[in-house]
Amino acid sequence: MAEASISVRGLWKVYGPRAGRIVGSPDADLPRAMLEAKTGCVVAMRDINLDVAPGEVFVVMGLSGSGKSTLVRCLTRLIEPTAGTVMIGDTDVTAANRDELLDVRRHRVSMVFQHFGLLPHRTLIDNIAFGLEVQKMAKDKRRAKAEQILELVGLAGLGQRKPDQLSGGMQQRVGLARALATDPEIMLFDEPFSALDPLIRRDMQDEIVRLRREVKKTMVFITHDLSEALRLGDRIAIMRDGRFVQVGTPEEVVGAPADDYVANFVRDVPRSHVVAVDSVMAPPASGGSSGTVPLGTKIRDVVPYVAASELPVRVVDASGTVVGSIDRVAVLSVIAGEDLAPVAGG
Amino acid sequence: MVIAAPITGIAETATSPITDKRWHRLVVPGVVIIAIIAVGYAIGHEVPTWLDAHVKAKVDQAYQWTVLHGDTNWLFTDVFDPIGHAISWSTDHLLSLLRTLRWPGVLVLTALIGYRTGGQRAALTGVIVLSGCGLLGFWDHTMITLSLMLVSVVIALAVGIPLGIWAGLSDRAEKVMRGILDTAQVMPLYVYILPLVVVFGIGAPAAVIATIIYAVPPAVRITSLGIRGVAGTSTEVGSSFGCTGPQLLLKIRLPLARRAVLLGVNQVIMMAFGIVVYASLIGAAGLGNDVLTGLQKVDVGRAFAPGLAIVFAAIAIDRITTGQRPQRIVSDTVASRPGALLGRRFMMPLLAVGSLIAVAVVAKLLKADHFPSSLTVDVSKPVNDAADWVGRHFRKGVPIVGGTESFSDFVVINFLTPARDLLQHAAWYIIVAAVAAIGWASGGWRLGLVCGASFVGIGALRVWDLAMDTLSQVLVAVVISLLVAIPLGIWAARSITVERILRPLLDVAQVMPAFVYLVPVIFLFNVGRVPGVVASVIYAIPPGIRLTTLGLRQVPEAPREAAISFGATPRQELLKVQLPLATRAMMLAVNQTIIMCLSIVVVAALIGAGGLGLETVYGLTKKQIGQGTAGGLAIVLLAIVLDRITQAWGSRSNRRAGAQTWAQRRFSRGPGLTL
Ligand SMILES: Nc1ncnc2c1ncn2[C@@H]1O[C@H](COP(=O)(O)OP(=O)(O)OP(=O)(O)O)[C@@H](O)[C@H]1O
Ligand SMILES: [Mg+2]
Repeated sequence: MAEASISVRGLWKVYGPRAGRIVGSPDADLPRAMLEAKTGCVVAMRDINLDVAPGEVFVVMGLSGSGKSTLVRCLTRLIEPTAGTVMIGDTDVTAANRDELLDVRRHRVSMVFQHFGLLPHRTLIDNIAFGLEVQKMAKDKRRAKAEQILELVGLAGLGQRKPDQLSGGMQQRVGLARALATDPEIMLFDEPFSALDPLIRRDMQDEIVRLRREVKKTMVFITHDLSEALRLGDRIAIMRDGRFVQVGTPEEVVGAPADDYVANFVRDVPRSHVVAVDSVMAPPASGGSSGTVPLGTKIRDVVPYVAASELPVRVVDASGTVVGSIDRVAVLSVIAGEDLAPVAGG
Repeated sequence: MVIAAPITGIAETATSPITDKRWHRLVVPGVVIIAIIAVGYAIGHEVPTWLDAHVKAKVDQAYQWTVLHGDTNWLFTDVFDPIGHAISWSTDHLLSLLRTLRWPGVLVLTALIGYRTGGQRAALTGVIVLSGCGLLGFWDHTMITLSLMLVSVVIALAVGIPLGIWAGLSDRAEKVMRGILDTAQVMPLYVYILPLVVVFGIGAPAAVIATIIYAVPPAVRITSLGIRGVAGTSTEVGSSFGCTGPQLLLKIRLPLARRAVLLGVNQVIMMAFGIVVYASLIGAAGLGNDVLTGLQKVDVGRAFAPGLAIVFAAIAIDRITTGQRPQRIVSDTVASRPGALLGRRFMMPLLAVGSLIAVAVVAKLLKADHFPSSLTVDVSKPVNDAADWVGRHFRKGVPIVGGTESFSDFVVINFLTPARDLLQHAAWYIIVAAVAAIGWASGGWRLGLVCGASFVGIGALRVWDLAMDTLSQVLVAVVISLLVAIPLGIWAARSITVERILRPLLDVAQVMPAFVYLVPVIFLFNVGRVPGVVASVIYAIPPGIRLTTLGLRQVPEAPREAAISFGATPRQELLKVQLPLATRAMMLAVNQTIIMCLSIVVVAALIGAGGLGLETVYGLTKKQIGQGTAGGLAIVLLAIVLDRITQAWGSRSNRRAGAQTWAQRRFSRGPGLTL
């Protein structure tokens, strides 16, 4: 078993005539309009390298047209990449034959779509059971399983309805249920919540957080909503013009934007919401403390302690051992945005 | 001087490329056209005798050959005859099945099918409407027509739907089929009828095959459209879960395209019933033949009653095949009891077949062989009386407008005759040059060439004067149709009320077989050229209105809103925003109107319009195959020229406001088209 759950090397997607010749050529670096005028090709994604660890939630962000959907679809070859390799576990997807590819799609990876992608002619149960049906599972078996999952996403009893009888939020729960039903190792999300209103979106994000805790799936999550990315992602990749301009933990991305593009993206995020105590704490201090927080606590959540008392806050690890302390000055300097201590490695 | 020089220099370099181009664009065609006229002048005013493709003679020879060798040549004995036999066998057996069921059995069968597809409503409508055929006294002939139509429809669907699926899945298949279907669409029926008659002889097989050829295109088109209309996201979902190609088709594409496919079924039925009368021209017995006899004897009543029966049969079949089945609400308890489902699945068909057999047996015992004559109503006499009444009261002496007779004279004296004289008396080469020039101006030199060549071809078919006669009638009909249809279409697009009133009328007009229009036209105008024109106008107006309305409605909201926000009056909004943006749709309306008018030329000939149509009818009914072929080919050539020119207008404006796709365009032509 390979170490990474998904491993991508040198992945390109070029649309247009004789797309292959663009890959890696100097032409690929031309501005989009010039390239299109010269060759008729559009580079949607260029030289992507990526490893996602098992159980990791990897978020891809970027403006519209930056190539996020292209990337996620190339992972299972819903879009055929122009060059590069994609490994899912130890299967080389890009070299897979038809049967191997179908196996990957049927059993190992599933996808949640932006506009839900529910099939209007099927009941909810049959929508959820779709993946199982394609695998040729017997009817009563797959129905039973779908029924279970329907309950899991909180829609028990609505199985005989048709999708158009549901609200958007409920529909996306079905989309989620459908992706869960095949019990895949990897789940891909292409802007699953961007069509939902903010409250429901929040709900659904909680659902993902819960899933992540309970079922431990590897996830690739596309979004253009930064707060969503920060909430869900173990790591975030920022995409622009088809390439990754930065890959890192939320703290790295917010704390040390690689370029102006990323900086612009994260400009409005208060750092205290992202930076955790781990990266700014001092060695354990003797003496009293105003409170105790676990590793990973965001600075924002330490503020009440240091506001209430001048004493530093103790930081403990999972076993309860004190590993550091953080005082009012450190908290304030994070909030003020200066002098960020070297960020913790991701 | 010194200062002026550079300025003129700039002016020259700036303008010369443009003037250069203009010069080319005008002068080259001009020279070619002058050359055509010069050559024509040298040849003479009339189409020269040496310009003769000898089509009539050659076709007649070929026909003679087939008559002589039909029993011995392998092509006939091993290919055509078996096909013909298979078709005859199917229609005969279907007919005897229908007769064995007897009329009560057929009605029960109708009810059962209707109930299965569309619930009680469809069952009831089907039964009532089909009984209408019996009440009119045409039950038996309806069964003959039904058996022919059903065989045609089933084969047409069996061919058309798979082809449509293929065209929907493969771009290359679509491209090839589009080329064929587009050409087929402007081809009048006779182009395939005549070879069919040559190959299969006059009779049911030729009629069935003609119907199939005629009805397949909409099935292909609509199915393909439906398959292509399935959202990419849905198929992507399928692929993402690992669907194979067939799984994608069966689980996603076809279910989502179901409505379109059903619509295709409906269109095929309507198309097939639309040409029942034509099929009778080549030997289909039944209702079509009754209509034809009535028309040929100018006996309005005798044509009307079977015509009505055709409409009834068409409506009945339509209702029971395409009814929207009410959603069955399967309650959880029923679904979870396997016994109940099993019962549903097997008991219902058993019950249905059982009751059908029971009714048939009872009917046999009661000797219900014929639809009870005590129930039938003879409508031909009242219709004839009404016709007489209308004739007496409307033909003459209506205050102010005068009456249809004077209208008829007016049209003949002021439009038809001058137009015909102009076209017939002008030297043939001038017409060729003019058509080539119009083609050139509309779509470039290639189109000009096609147009010119087509008209020379008409000359070579030796039907020049007849063609000019037909062309004059078509042009007059087109102008009148557009003058009526476009204003009505604009009005309907701007007023919901008007549209509400027009829509049902248009719907009915679309499902009516074309010849039904002839009946009231004969009432009013007797026979001659004017009723032909009037029939064309009535026939061509509905699609004209529909396309105009559609085009205006499709104009996006944003520019209209912008215009209003700048204070445009409704009139300005119409003239400055809507109409310019709907140019393509309007051109489409013109194109369709022309095609519709041309398509009715042969029907018009049945009521005395003469021209090429008469030539064709004569060829079919009197077995003058050569003459008929020449007439039919000339109609095709006319159709190609008029279709291509108006299409070129449409695609030019297309670049500015392209909204409709090919499929929509052909789709909106709708049923009831009798070409
Ligand atoms: N079939 C295609 N042909 C040509 N170019 C394409 C095609 N599909 C996508 N592209 C181009 O590839 C680029 C990346 O598209 P992609 O859909 O991956 O963007 P995205 O980041 O998902 O954007 P969004 O947030 O709008 O979904 C875009 O610039 C798009 O124009
Ligand atoms: Mg996208």
